[in-house]
Amino acid sequence: MQLWLGSLILLAAAAVQAAPDAQSLLAASDAVRNPDQSFGLTTTLIEYRNGKQQETSTLAVYSRAERGSGQFRSLLRFEAPARDAGKLMLKSGNDLWFHDPSSKATIRISPQQRLLGQAANGDVVTVNLAGDYSARLAGEEDIIDGDRQPRHAYKLELAARAPDVTYHRIEYWLDTGNSRPIKARFYAQSGGLLKTAYYRRYQSQLGVVRPTETVIIDGLDPNWVTVMRFDDYAWRDVPESWLQRDYLPRFKPQ
Amino acid sequence: MHAMTLRAATFALLCVAPVAQAIDADDAALQLADQPQAPSAAPEQRDWRGYAEFAVGLAQPRAEADVPDSARLSLDAVLDTALAPGWRLVLSDRLDGWAWSGQADRAINTLREAYLGWQPDAQTAVDLGRVNVRYGAGLGYNPSDFFKVGALRSVTSADPQALRENRQGSVLLRGQRLWDSGALTAIWSPELGGEPSDDGISLNLGATNPFERWLLVASHRFSELIDPQWLLYSEPGSVLAGMNWSVLLNDAMVGYVEFAGGRQSSLLARSQGEDDAAFRAAWVAGATWTTAFKLSVTLEYQRDNAAADADQWKALQNDAQQGAAADYARYRQLLGTRQALATRESAMLYASWQDAGVAGLDLAGYWRRDLVDASWQAWLQARWRTSVADLTAQWLYNHGEALSNYGAAPARQRWQLALTHYF
Repeated sequence: MQLWLGSLILLAAAAVQAAPDAQSLLAASDAVRNPDQSFGLTTTLIEYRNGKQQETSTLAVYSRAERGSGQFRSLLRFEAPARDAGKLMLKSGNDLWFHDPSSKATIRISPQQRLLGQAANGDVVTVNLAGDYSARLAGEEDIIDGDRQPRHAYKLELAARAPDVTYHRIEYWLDTGNSRPIKARFYAQSGGLLKTAYYRRYQSQLGVVRPTETVIIDGLDPNWVTVMRFDDYAWRDVPESWLQRDYLPRFKPQ
Repeated sequence: MHAMTLRAATFALLCVAPVAQAIDADDAALQLADQPQAPSAAPEQRDWRGYAEFAVGLAQPRAEADVPDSARLSLDAVLDTALAPGWRLVLSDRLDGWAWSGQADRAINTLREAYLGWQPDAQTAVDLGRVNVRYGAGLGYNPSDFFKVGALRSVTSADPQALRENRQGSVLLRGQRLWDSGALTAIWSPELGGEPSDDGISLNLGATNPFERWLLVASHRFSELIDPQWLLYSEPGSVLAGMNWSVLLNDAMVGYVEFAGGRQSSLLARSQGEDDAAFRAAWVAGATWTTAFKLSVTLEYQRDNAAADADQWKALQNDAQQGAAADYARYRQLLGTRQALATRESAMLYASWQDAGVAGLDLAGYWRRDLVDASWQAWLQARWRTSVADLTAQWLYNHGEALSNYGAAPARQRWQLALTHYF
């Protein structure tokens, strides 16, 4: 009886030790997606509808790690198409500003005002999910990743901490071995599926193996697909004083 | 038992079927993303951008008005280049070649900007030259956009956005000091004399620098809610204070307020060369709401206490009807120069719909109503976007009694078709 009880306690202790902390897993996967200090990259968005390539946009993204919060302030500069070249979007917390160099107008926009096809503004800027969402471990699953390889994954249920984030709830799968994000499903407050994302084509960038492509599939129309490709990762520090409305008319890439 | 098993099996199938469909759809999407034709390399960053536009315009004139049909070829280019570390040259120019039926052809060049910028450190910047300075949170009317006076030269569209793009800057010296959450900007613009010129190649300094002006602009972000921009502007005879403040009301809505007020003459007195300086204010309040399918709708209220009130406006119209049209004409000319409201109150509804049902098709339109004389103007635009070119169709309609704000426009309707090629 004592032996049985002792085994049970040992097993329980082992289980407690083995159960990973969901929030830590989420933070670890954030660290896979995003460098831990200010950086820049080029994002190319390619939009497909019903199997045909539609628009392509290219953005230079400058992300500055904020002191203390672990979050980023991002400045996006449109590089292509030519019609949009030079336009800027600044995201600092919930502040979103859009600047058009032709009209010299700098206006506040809402998160709903999407500038780029199906990708939300929150998708193209750098966001650490652990800051905005509470994570719960929902189990382990064998799934097929974006490169069509079988992977053993933790499934996390993410609940928004505040109502003003882009997605109310997220299902998030990450590799049990290395916390690399594999796939995510994003849900609206109504419960409807907004989009599915696959994180794929992992390559070493700025010292860590990171996904260099995200494939986004619309929740209502699976024939609407947006591919986001990330190139030209580089450590790049943009002065904090430049990330504000009054500097946007003057911003010029270094 | 058998029936239960069947029901269970059917239920299981119904549950599994959507999952299987989703996996198939995901697989199809991933295969699509594997396609090699999508570009993976970033385009080279350029110091310049430009486009050429060919447009034809048709008009339906009012009785006794003469509005010729037109054709236009425009070349538009901007250069923004670094001359040396910390030094920057900005040149922005547009050439409109006009042809009107029954009239001589004309070319109008608009030198929008030509200035040298110096940024000795990350927090300090100085600019000297012709600069297009624009402030204002409003969409259809900007009382705090003090340098809009005399800025329009060649109007090619009624779109408020286009009116902001295609305008000439003022010659000025501008200094800016930045800190982490704010900025202070000081601008001095000298009087350069002369009269406004409609000569095609004139720099038109008489229009953009008619008198000495200065402007101070300060902003500091105290919180997400408290982030206004304050302005203090001076020109001979008046000092005006201004404010721009916009706030996120919810995930899909932005509200904004723009204000400018101070000691100044009324527009009517100005148009008659008189001075009746007193405290007068103008303001705009509005909100923009965006749907999940990329339709944005803005409702804006516009007020200018320096504009003609109902009695003054009626008196001007009555005089013009009885043959004494000089005051009315001078007043309207001043409105055009200052991009001002004709009467005290207006409202505007603006909508734009990106990818309107079809990818690549953008629709936009507005309806603006003079709340004093009840005349109104409607404008619609359909734009078909491709990667290097746009095809744009526009329709403008003016409604109102003769001599009313919009009823006095020479054309009852205008149509324009434009093909724009981006380089």
